[in-house]
Amino acid sequence: MLRLLALVLALALPAQAATLYLYNWNNYISDRTIARFEARCACRVVQDYYSDNEEMLAKLAAGASGYDLIVPTGNAVEALLRSKQLRPLDKARLPHFGNLKAEFLNGFFDPGNRYSVPYAYTVTLLGYNMEKLQALGLPADTWALVFEPRYLAKLKGRVTVLDSQRELMAAALRYLGHSANDSDEKHWKAARDLILRAKPYWAAFNASSYIKELTVGNIWVAHGYSNDMFQARADAAAAGRPFRIGYAIPREGAVLALDSLVLHNTGRQPDLAHRFMDFMLEGENSAELSNLIGSGNPNRAAMAYIRPEIADNPAVFPDGANMGRLEMLRDLDRRQRRVLNRIWTEIKLR
Amino acid sequence: MSRTEDRLSRWAVTAPPTLFLLAFFLVPALIVVLASFQYPGEFGGLAPLADPGDGSEHGLTLENYRFYFSDFLFTEILLRSFLVAAASTLICLVLAYPVAWLIARSPKQHRDLLVLLVILPFASNFLIRVYAWMIILGPQAGLAQAVNGLLGAFGLAPVSLLFSPFAVLVGMVYVHLPFMILPLYTNLEKHDPVLLDAAQDLGANAWQRFWRVTWPLSLPGVFSGSALVFIPVLGMFAIPDILGGTRDMLIGNLIKDQFLGVRDWPFGATLSIVLTLCVLGLAGLAAWAGKGGRHG
Amino acid sequence: MARLPIWLRLAAGATFAFLYVPLAVVVAYSFNDSRLNAEWVGFTLDWYRVLFADQEMLLAARNSLFIALVSSLAATGLGTLAGLAMHRYRPPWLPLLVITPVAMPEILLGVSLLVFFIQVLHLTLGLLSVVLAHITFSIGFVAIIVRARLAGMDESIFEAARDLGANPWQTFRLVTFPLILPAVVAGFLMAFTLSIDDFVITFFTAGVGVSTLPLQIYSMIKIAVTPEVNAVSTLLMLLTLVLVAAASRMDRSFMKGGA
Repeated sequence: MLRLLALVLALALPAQAATLYLYNWNNYISDRTIARFEARCACRVVQDYYSDNEEMLAKLAAGASGYDLIVPTGNAVEALLRSKQLRPLDKARLPHFGNLKAEFLNGFFDPGNRYSVPYAYTVTLLGYNMEKLQALGLPADTWALVFEPRYLAKLKGRVTVLDSQRELMAAALRYLGHSANDSDEKHWKAARDLILRAKPYWAAFNASSYIKELTVGNIWVAHGYSNDMFQARADAAAAGRPFRIGYAIPREGAVLALDSLVLHNTGRQPDLAHRFMDFMLEGENSAELSNLIGSGNPNRAAMAYIRPEIADNPAVFPDGANMGRLEMLRDLDRRQRRVLNRIWTEIKLR
Repeated sequence: MSRTEDRLSRWAVTAPPTLFLLAFFLVPALIVVLASFQYPGEFGGLAPLADPGDGSEHGLTLENYRFYFSDFLFTEILLRSFLVAAASTLICLVLAYPVAWLIARSPKQHRDLLVLLVILPFASNFLIRVYAWMIILGPQAGLAQAVNGLLGAFGLAPVSLLFSPFAVLVGMVYVHLPFMILPLYTNLEKHDPVLLDAAQDLGANAWQRFWRVTWPLSLPGVFSGSALVFIPVLGMFAIPDILGGTRDMLIGNLIKDQFLGVRDWPFGATLSIVLTLCVLGLAGLAAWAGKGGRHG
Repeated sequence: MARLPIWLRLAAGATFAFLYVPLAVVVAYSFNDSRLNAEWVGFTLDWYRVLFADQEMLLAARNSLFIALVSSLAATGLGTLAGLAMHRYRPPWLPLLVITPVAMPEILLGVSLLVFFIQVLHLTLGLLSVVLAHITFSIGFVAIIVRARLAGMDESIFEAARDLGANPWQTFRLVTFPLILPAVVAGFLMAFTLSIDDFVITFFTAGVGVSTLPLQIYSMIKIAVTPEVNAVSTLLMLLTLVLVAAASRMDRSFMKGGA
């Protein structure tokens, strides 16, 4: 028995090559990009995934550590910064930093970009089954599609919304004409009532499997991230489905999630992490992500490498007017979190 | 044998498991009790007990319990969990009884095999068993199409089997069914068939024989099986997560969210304490009822 | 023996079908030539190929095996002692201490260990925390199985050994241990199976870079279901099947222990 134990112990020992731990969104980097980086640095990249910023923050608060790089959204960068979990960047080791578009620098969460390197962005919007919406005569570019019973009556059981407190509230708040960052309890309650009125028509709260549900045709309208909709659209086409998946930014405005690479202070490989950041700032590598998942790209040098059907998609690269209607979410303090927690529980229960 | 030798061996046998369980079961449980009286930390975790000197919250508070009782909402989720657990237990009982009876009345040489047949699916990971129902209840599968075809024939709107309270219940029953069959079987196996023969001789029909003889004698098995189904279902979060729809949050999901979703540990601890008290109350009740069943 | 009524046979047969059809579906779809897991397209072994090329899945499998082996060995030691203590010395607190972690909803143990590891031990969650957690819930099962075996034995053997001048250690090594060995092995296999299988407690106590098979399966189910999940499930079922068969060969009380 001891011999067996020794064998297993030996097997479980970490590999020799340096390992970069990346805590990333699910499917948020191309395998090819990873492979190229591994070849260049003679190291290994290990990824863990999350599907919600709150989940990532909670796991870190719950003691997850050892991640070199994380890819949080703006408000989560703010939370990580305020809780002193981030390591400052050494810009001298990021020669390609100048590739970034000016409008994505100096975000509210990190003025001067002392800690964060913009990586990619997505818009939280509505994905839909084009043929079904057309047949039902429904508009695609408004939150009314998921909140208004007069539309939902035709979509009963065919709608999913994100299983995320902040995102769903933001959609409801925007639809009601408020800011996505509004923290007035009265407005929150109005948003709750809007959600509760619509909820009987929804199939499920869903964090990520709506990609598959849209592709298969079970779900006709999904509240989700632009890159997931891109994936659903590609999957449906590849599977030869008799319908296409479209996506559009609702005209009432939506949430823009700018995800940035940051260095977590429990990471053991800051040098390697800087090399990875700079590698991802090279236009070709950065473009690979947009080509793979259809995410928006804050990198000017990447645009030349991005396939035209993505570069020209207004839901991925919105024009000026639409850009103005997009908002980044800010972090809530713990009292606001508890108020929202109660409202969310109520939403889940009723 | 000497007294010291005996004391030594007693200590050597008893101390290691006792100390381990004190350290990794009892102490953590007490920490949760403590946590339920602490403030949440600004970025998750717990606020410190001692004053950090920057004016932030610290020390002990009843705030979390006040928050729990400030709204019936949370109790309502607890009650719903009880309802789901009770329904699952009842369905398990109805499904398990014939199987347990069949095994107990089978020829001796077949019993072990039949018991093994009950255990085998239970030995595969429960997520796999839940996932199986995702496929079976999915809208593309034959079952949903048949049901909706039937509903359509009567002019009724189609329903979704997956992502519904029905799916959650199916998942709960499926995963926990063996927990009901095994104790029932162990109990029924011990019944003396002579009793049933005697009842028959006295003119009791099959139903009377079951209701007057078998059922009362099987009550201890029913109680232990019920406890083994009820309690795990009460704390389950993965099945509502995977199979549930928009209204299927149970207390387990709420607790999980506090720790891994919304960074409110103290409230999560409070909910855990409430659930623990419920379970302990139930266990006491079951023990009491079990005794009553045996004597009565 | 009275003949069993036909309706009883039918009802029992239906329940057995209820138990087995879903598993058959999982296995069947692992050979389905479609990414979407919805309708049957054709036979393929591709998903097994995908599975064996999936580095993260293999790493998770390695972690699962390591955790299961270490935790079940430790739990077997501690659980055997607990079983002996409960049988011989009957300290009133021990059964409570041994059974409660097993009897409570798993989420409660998971949550309390999470808070304890982070807040008190300041331990970085990882292999160690998972192993400690698994030992905690496994001890009870081993103890129950060992005690059941001891309860079924004739006390006079031990008295005879003592009368022949054996000290407690000799009695244990030469008499007790060989007699309870089948139960100890069955307990080990049980603990191993439980550890390989555990999701809830691992979910709360695993940290960076440590994924186990159940955690991996969960995230695949939640995020992107492909028949790779079916493939890994099928193999995992095969493994547990072998383990259960081995355990039930060792000791019949394993079945009762499972109950």
